[in-house]
Amino acid sequence: MGGSTSFSIKQLSGASLLLLYAWFCWLMWEITRQYIPWNEDVAFLRIKQEYMGLAYYRQAFFLHVFTAILSLAAGFTQFSPRLTRKLPWLHRYSGRAYVLVVIFLAGPSGFIIGLYANGGLSSQIAFCLLAILWVYCTAKGWQSARQGQWDQHRAWMWRSFALALSAITLRAWKYALVGLLHPRPMDVYKVVAWLGWVLNLAVAEWLLYRWRKKTSPPKKPTII
Amino acid sequence: MRISYIVLGMLALTACGQPSNDTQNEQTITARDTLSPLNPEPPSPASSGAARPGLMHREAIGSYVGFFEAVDYDENTDFVYANKISLVLDSFNTHTAFGHSVVAGNLRPFSGPYTEKQGKLQVEAKEPGDDRYDGSFSFELNAEQGLVKGTWTANNRRLPVSKRSFELKNRRFAYDPNLNLPEDVLWDVLYEKHDEYAEEGEFLTQDVLKLNASKQVLKKEDVENLYKGDLEVIRNTIYARHGYSFKNRKMRFIFDRYVEWYMPISTDIRGDLSPLEKKNAELLKRYEEHADRYYDVFGR
Repeated sequence: MGGSTSFSIKQLSGASLLLLYAWFCWLMWEITRQYIPWNEDVAFLRIKQEYMGLAYYRQAFFLHVFTAILSLAAGFTQFSPRLTRKLPWLHRYSGRAYVLVVIFLAGPSGFIIGLYANGGLSSQIAFCLLAILWVYCTAKGWQSARQGQWDQHRAWMWRSFALALSAITLRAWKYALVGLLHPRPMDVYKVVAWLGWVLNLAVAEWLLYRWRKKTSPPKKPTII
Repeated sequence: MRISYIVLGMLALTACGQPSNDTQNEQTITARDTLSPLNPEPPSPASSGAARPGLMHREAIGSYVGFFEAVDYDENTDFVYANKISLVLDSFNTHTAFGHSVVAGNLRPFSGPYTEKQGKLQVEAKEPGDDRYDGSFSFELNAEQGLVKGTWTANNRRLPVSKRSFELKNRRFAYDPNLNLPEDVLWDVLYEKHDEYAEEGEFLTQDVLKLNASKQVLKKEDVENLYKGDLEVIRNTIYARHGYSFKNRKMRFIFDRYVEWYMPISTDIRGDLSPLEKKNAELLKRYEEHADRYYDVFGR
């Protein structure tokens, strides 16, 4: 085997990861679709009826559902060095769209609905903290891009996207935990409220650590 | 268990001892079941002197509870061996006994001739015949002991169960919001089908004993962490207290077998629910549906 037609393991795993991601995005779209155009008595909202009387909760909820899903598009456009090199305008424009969506729409609305999260104080803190960190990392990523600090830009945006991915990982954890342990509904919710994004952030930090080690220039021998 | 038998016995005794109670009993029952086409011929005390139904007939009026057990059945079908039944004697005229039975979510009137022998009544009664599960009753009623014993034979001999027998005890229905499930219920498994053939079931937890949805206002916090099976049983216990006869087999298995106080007396109790019960039932149902649709799927 070999030659120019064969795929490397890296390419194959990259492609399957992308496919997996696309499949999860489709699942997220299926969840979002239930609320279109403005359905207040479906899915998650069926057990949030006591807050539906609050106009700002209602508006924040729909704003979050309809805009947060847009942030997942970044997974396709922003993290391929080749794509960024070949189509720099795509990276720039979709990057700006991501920043706008997160900082002004999905992030703040996430914070508001996080205040009323199921599962009591623990999950309320989890979701509000997630929203704050998401906005913060995104803002830092944007700032560092403006300043041309590309290493910083990359680090903050990886963190930001790791937090965006919590939409998927939270639900995947819930699915796995229910399947394995058959826990009580609110117990599992409290667990995934934290597990859904803390682990993502840890993985992002680890990847950043590996990346820095790989790319940092070898230390110059000190001359005495 | 034993205590409830004693209470039952005492109830039966008091019911037999005081004829005035029986009239009350009769009135309660006729008032409750306004939906059913019962009492086509109410007893008229003014009717011809000599053949007029005696005291024993009046004492016989009331409800009798016990198990309705399969005698002739098709082994290859998924039938329920024993269901709890309430047989209610509504009235007597000179020749005919009128009543109705409530079992497995089915309320059916019956009427037919009766004879008197050795202080007992022998009743041969027929159901109207316009329901697939109609048939005829043949039973002996001992009003003094508050016992009814007999058989029921289906009109359609090809039904999964074409003959059942029963031995019932006199018991007056009374709604009591304090009643709750016994601990034994935790040993049960929620089966969709007959338990001998079931492949999977779901156990109940202590939660079903802790919450009484007929007495306390249930809040979101009380129900959001409960399993679907528990929610379902807590909600249906509201209906059971009102004597609702369950069509749903899962619920019948639980209430018929484990709940001594349970007595099927009606097939529509919507009008009997208190505002508190209605509100709680609605909340419970909401969480049941949510658990059913979303508990084990990719989502929140």
